[in-house]
Amino acid sequence: MTTSFLDRENTVAPVEFNRFLVPPAALAVHLCIGQAYAFSTFNLPLTKLIGITHQDPADWVATDVGWTFSIAIAILGLSAAVFGRWVERVGPRKSMFTAALCFGGGFIVAAVGLHFHQLWLLYLGYGVLGGCGLGIGYISPVSTLIKWFPDRPGMATGMAIMGFGGGALIAAPLSLALMDHFKSATSNGVVETFVTMGVIYFMYMMIGVVSIRVPARDWKPDGWTPPANPGHMVTQANVVVNQAWRTPQFWLLWGVLCMNVSAGIGVLGQASPMIQEVFSGRVSAAGAAGFVGLLSLFNMGGRFFWASISDYLGRRNTYLVFFLLGIALYCTVPATGHLGSTALFVAAFAIIISMYGGGFATIPAYLRDMFGTLNVGAIHGRILTAWAVAGVLGPQLFTYLRKFQIDHGVPKAQAYSITMYIMCGLLLIGLLCNLAMRPVSTRFHVEDRA
Amino acid sequence: MRTRLVMLWLSVGIPLAWGIYKTLQNAMKLFG
Repeated sequence: MTTSFLDRENTVAPVEFNRFLVPPAALAVHLCIGQAYAFSTFNLPLTKLIGITHQDPADWVATDVGWTFSIAIAILGLSAAVFGRWVERVGPRKSMFTAALCFGGGFIVAAVGLHFHQLWLLYLGYGVLGGCGLGIGYISPVSTLIKWFPDRPGMATGMAIMGFGGGALIAAPLSLALMDHFKSATSNGVVETFVTMGVIYFMYMMIGVVSIRVPARDWKPDGWTPPANPGHMVTQANVVVNQAWRTPQFWLLWGVLCMNVSAGIGVLGQASPMIQEVFSGRVSAAGAAGFVGLLSLFNMGGRFFWASISDYLGRRNTYLVFFLLGIALYCTVPATGHLGSTALFVAAFAIIISMYGGGFATIPAYLRDMFGTLNVGAIHGRILTAWAVAGVLGPQLFTYLRKFQIDHGVPKAQAYSITMYIMCGLLLIGLLCNLAMRPVSTRFHVEDRA
Repeated sequence: MRTRLVMLWLSVGIPLAWGIYKTLQNAMKLFG
């Protein structure tokens, strides 16, 4: 493979190119990097690398291992923000190739760290290098998809970002199957699994690298003409990334994403213990694992469903639904616990988590509506810092509030009630940010170069 | 082009369908 193959100029699609080849190319990358959500399947085996069947005193402890995922998510946000402009400049093929190298290579470096039992190499490999793969891979296909689907930008980006949710559904059973396959008297199979996954993910991401194409400069879908009046909240101008983050709209959207993610991510992290404590004696550990699986499905499905719906509802109205329906559902959850209705409890959280995923998937199209297509990938990269903040805020708030209530004598089954109302508060802040959204002032616009 | 389209969608659809199937299998335990 030569460098020129990766250059943007060599990825311009021929006239007969079918634009529906682009979403699976993007999905090939997102399905791989979505593995990050399933990293917890390695948490326990990583604490038994020396003891194999039990935890040896020389083995790492769970908190050491837990940092790996946190570092990867933090680096995801940082690298998306830092490399966003580079991704825009070099195009999707070179950036997806870089993401494949980082993500696949990250597994290999981490595997070396596991083999020599060097924790810093695990952090460097999966956390830092893999995290860069996550960030670059996440934003790589976004602006390309928006340019290919100017008529359905929500659906197109929703399809790709759905892959990030779906990646965990594949990675969790794959990791378990590989560890089971490789385990022996002298190894619990994690090192071999890391190497195998590194190779598989690199090769699979290459499907996306070779398939991705950018549209020619003035390309438009057959029979589609840009609407003369796209609506009050959809711009036809462009704002460059260095101007975008100086606008109030950028920070309002940052708040919208941060609050929506904070409210959902806390639930995702505590879903298993939460349902077992609220329905003590009625939901087993296996049932709770099923609940987590169900939430993953709604997280994935919501990404495609809500982002597609946003093409018809409008972005602001879609987030309005997320926040209003989210507040109503969070207020209802304590009642479902008191009623003892597992079905209502599960249904409420399934919808909440679908909107959590929907928030991620709809934000690129919202950014395109506000700032145009010129630098939408780079702007998307910068706004993902809200994810990094929410990744700390949501789970910390959720676990702290629960602990605070239990320490003050509240029964475990009821300890989540106040937490739910606090989540309503977060969504209310997001709602206010969303209501405050107005078109970007024309002084930030640049001449159309898209 | 059509064959390429089908192959590409199958290459992402099959692993995703497998992941959904395994997750649904797990999710059934909630109602079991």
